[in-house]
Amino acid sequence: MDPSRSDLSQGDDALVMRAANGDREAFGELTNRHQRRVWMVCRQYVGVDEADAAAQDSLVKAFTRIGDFDRRAAFSTWLTRIAINTCLDELRRRRRAAPVVDEPEDGDGVGVLAQVPDGQAGPEARSMQRQAVASLEAGEKALPPRQREIFRLRFYAEMDLEEIAEALEVHVGTVKTQLHRAVHRLREELGAYR
Amino acid sequence: MSMHLEEPEISSAVAGLELKPVAEEHLAACLSCRQRVASMRELIDAQRLRFEAEAPDWERQRQEVLLRLPSVLTAGLERRRWWTRPLLAVAAVLVAAIGLKALWMPPPSSDPMAGLELPVEQILAEVDAMLADDSIPGFELIDPGLDDAIFENGAS
Repeated sequence: MDPSRSDLSQGDDALVMRAANGDREAFGELTNRHQRRVWMVCRQYVGVDEADAAAQDSLVKAFTRIGDFDRRAAFSTWLTRIAINTCLDELRRRRRAAPVVDEPEDGDGVGVLAQVPDGQAGPEARSMQRQAVASLEAGEKALPPRQREIFRLRFYAEMDLEEIAEALEVHVGTVKTQLHRAVHRLREELGAYR
Repeated sequence: MSMHLEEPEISSAVAGLELKPVAEEHLAACLSCRQRVASMRELIDAQRLRFEAEAPDWERQRQEVLLRLPSVLTAGLERRRWWTRPLLAVAAVLVAAIGLKALWMPPPSSDPMAGLELPVEQILAEVDAMLADDSIPGFELIDPGLDDAIFENGAS
């Protein structure tokens, strides 16, 4: 754990204690600190359309259950676990409602790829990067679910390996193995783009 | 190491996993291998930035979450409910048991010998009351006129 994360965790403890006594302002500060990650986790599981609602549900659940937080893990990890469970519940509910799609994604991705930041690149480089991102996205979807989940938590939610292991309740060695396989497979899929 | 890193080692470096010391040394020294790692990371970062561009307004979301929080009292009850119910039930049974005991049994005395001694005062009071009661049949036997009546009739 890097020093800034450790500081954040220590700061979280005091806020968590206040929030557990019903201090909404303290919970507001916790929300401020962690909402970005919660949303990004939800974005990966339920898609962009439902991510905001799922993130809000997760944060409200965290407040109502904060008395159960036992400090064995960091607050951010505990919160991430709630977000993941909230999303999985939502996916199960959807599956019961209508047997759909593996992934509530963005169609062919063409529309959203126009949003890819391209810095100072020229038209040709931009086009190449968009194609590469589209290939990456297609490659991700083809990954086995566990590999895809770990890849996204690592790179998009920017969680470290131990946190992913705790949030998914698996051994950190499993996280390393699955992450390595995911990256390796994506590099193979990407071929010329990488 | 004179050769470039193998694909699995590049994948490890991209994922931020540990490399063997010799591979680490090579990566630090080899521009070509560093570029292979960097180009993959740039691609992943581009995808992450794309997701971040879709993110909501954080302050608005925070306010919406705060509006949805249950009241402090409700939150407290939610937290306590699961364990207070059995405790409250046990407490209610205990209170009822203590109340029944208080109704049916005298209060305990602080004198340790109290339970072993006879209630002398109470016994004396009962005896006095009995002696004072003329209607008790046993006392008629000592009525002097009674014996005479019996013997006069020749039968009891």
